[in-house]
Amino acid sequence: MSTPFAAIRQHALRTLQSPWLHPLNDTDALNELLGSLNPRWSLTEVRAELSGRRAETPDTVSLEFRPNRLWNGFAAGQHVTITVDIDGVRHQRVYSLSSDPAQAERLTLTVKRQPGDRQRTSVSNWLHDGLRLGDVVTLSAAAGDFVLPGAARPALLLSAGSGITPMRALLHALRQRAAAGTFTDDVVLIHVCRDRADQIFADELAALVREWPALRLVAWHTASRGRPTVAKLLEAVPDYAARDTWLCGPATFMADVEAHWQAAGLAARLRLERFGLAPRVVEGAASAEIRCERSERLFTAGAGEALLPAAERAGLKPAYGCRIGICRTCLCRKRSGTVENLVTGEQSSEPDEWIRLCVSTPRSDLQLDL
Amino acid sequence: MTRKKLSRTDIAGLQADLDAVRDSVMSTLGDKDVAHIRKMIRRARGSAIAGRTMLGLGFDPVTFVVGVAALAHAKIVENMEVGHNVMHGQYDWTNDPSLNSLRYEWDNVCDAGMWRHFHNYEHHTYTNILGKDRDFGYTILRLSDEQKWHPFFLLQPVWNAILALAFEWGVGGHDVQAERFLKGEMSFRQLAERSKPFHRKIRKQLVKDYVLFPLLTFWNAPRVLLGNLLANLIRNLWSYAIIFCGHFPDGTQVFSEEETRDETRGDWYYRQICGSANIEGGRAFHILTGHLSHQIEHHLFPDMPAHRYAEIAPQVQAICAKYGIRYNTANFWRQYGTVLGKVFRHALPSRRANAALAQA
Repeated sequence: MSTPFAAIRQHALRTLQSPWLHPLNDTDALNELLGSLNPRWSLTEVRAELSGRRAETPDTVSLEFRPNRLWNGFAAGQHVTITVDIDGVRHQRVYSLSSDPAQAERLTLTVKRQPGDRQRTSVSNWLHDGLRLGDVVTLSAAAGDFVLPGAARPALLLSAGSGITPMRALLHALRQRAAAGTFTDDVVLIHVCRDRADQIFADELAALVREWPALRLVAWHTASRGRPTVAKLLEAVPDYAARDTWLCGPATFMADVEAHWQAAGLAARLRLERFGLAPRVVEGAASAEIRCERSERLFTAGAGEALLPAAERAGLKPAYGCRIGICRTCLCRKRSGTVENLVTGEQSSEPDEWIRLCVSTPRSDLQLDL
Repeated sequence: MTRKKLSRTDIAGLQADLDAVRDSVMSTLGDKDVAHIRKMIRRARGSAIAGRTMLGLGFDPVTFVVGVAALAHAKIVENMEVGHNVMHGQYDWTNDPSLNSLRYEWDNVCDAGMWRHFHNYEHHTYTNILGKDRDFGYTILRLSDEQKWHPFFLLQPVWNAILALAFEWGVGGHDVQAERFLKGEMSFRQLAERSKPFHRKIRKQLVKDYVLFPLLTFWNAPRVLLGNLLANLIRNLWSYAIIFCGHFPDGTQVFSEEETRDETRGDWYYRQICGSANIEGGRAFHILTGHLSHQIEHHLFPDMPAHRYAEIAPQVQAICAKYGIRYNTANFWRQYGTVLGKVFRHALPSRRANAALAQA
């Protein structure tokens, strides 16, 4: 029954998008007209209104959004790209969804303030200081494979700092499976943070542990015990090798844990969610000259440096989005030369190939269509 | 025409002073610039919706006249204040795809990609260099003594009138470079290849104004068709008049390839000032010209959001006075009058004023 209907609908949608109907089907224009009636209305974009905020720690806030009908919900552990305009400039950042995925009409992002000199253009800090109740932001669909498998096994969640945000969604989902009887194993959450005051969701998770005995929470406070080695951390879960493991946190923390899992031959059991680029040591790299065909500019990228910041330093303004190799906004045609992907370590020398400026570092002099 | 020769020190000073003006604006770009361009986009859209509705649904001559005016106004604002400026990259810093110079396509038969090549690159780099800037006289008009005369130019008042009425077509076909085909420098196959984007854009524009909208209110089809034609015509005349006042009024100067070799940015700034002319007027007028009435400021800083030109114009004028450079500004009728005078005067051969500049 639904198949012919879906086909007709798809056909109608394609006809409506025909260039011959322009400007009647100009979605940018229609979205803006709808947006001027109600900021949450859009034909194509998920627009979400900030409906609540709660301080989790002195530097972390949970933001609750009410999305429009184009929001398709999410699976626990997934992330979303948020688009905001800060003093005229459009920024995109990726955040894990921290709320219970069963609550479809609401979603929560938990955001930690960024210290230091990144303050000026930090989306996180703007979400803290600039976003008011009732303001509307644009969201992507939820994405990512940092999710629960169909068949459950004992689980280990390893997080540090704000890496706990997707863990909260995973715990909600596991709890529901446990209540429904489809998950009968136990769960260990090991969380590293500075101290009790810095521990995001501390009270809420303590309450969850009380009502759900299969959950064990191990908090490691670095202020009193120092930075843990992976081996020290794992003393609390001697059976970690038998568990499915989810890992999220700062890049160095993740790199240590990842190396440990690899050395133990357990890499297949480890799922990772990265906030930023992994600190990859690009071996034998040298700085390179980049020739830009369109703008007729020349710039130098440092050894192991991504092309996007190098181009921006030279005064070029390439389009960008997430800056961590997810959204493909910064796609650029590379005419010649070799680049290395900073995430995968893959090198490629194909002429005329599309590369992402934010995760590509030059391994030779390059020519770009920029 | 002779112009003052600036010393190297003066050129370096001019460069530093103008760079400082540029930095003072570019370091303060923000919310208010985006608010301006979005307001202009809304204004053009609102006006287009109002105009097309009146043309399509009205029956009386009043809604016809007002409808044509609203649609012409929409096309003028969209082409000049929004399209031209966005396609210059003035709003690329916003990182908003709908304001991105590479993505924007305007309501005009000129293909955006071709325009970016001949306008952004050729015209703004080689401004008023004879033989390099194909915008000087658009290859069909002789507007200075230094251009070589040809009997073809005898009828240039007629060519001028045709170009004025069909300006978007002239602009659209400019990058096809048909004159090179006529001179035998380009094969027919190359010409056909070059004109492909133009043909695509023509189809799109013709379908929109002369098929889609007339059919949408088919009982009113002839009225809509005529109204759209008139709106396009008004936009053509207006943009022609404004753009001709940019580089052709009395006092604007031309350059030879020879003298512009090894230019510094200071030299380039100097050439932009000497080759451009402003039109005086109020804020509403400036917006309707897409701020091309601040042609001098636009040529100095083509990627600066254009609504900022008015605020820096007094500073630029003061810098010109400091170095004794003429800042060419006058009201519309004076500037356009001298352009028209040149069209007639240079139809006839003249004694070449400057042997160094004369084209062989």
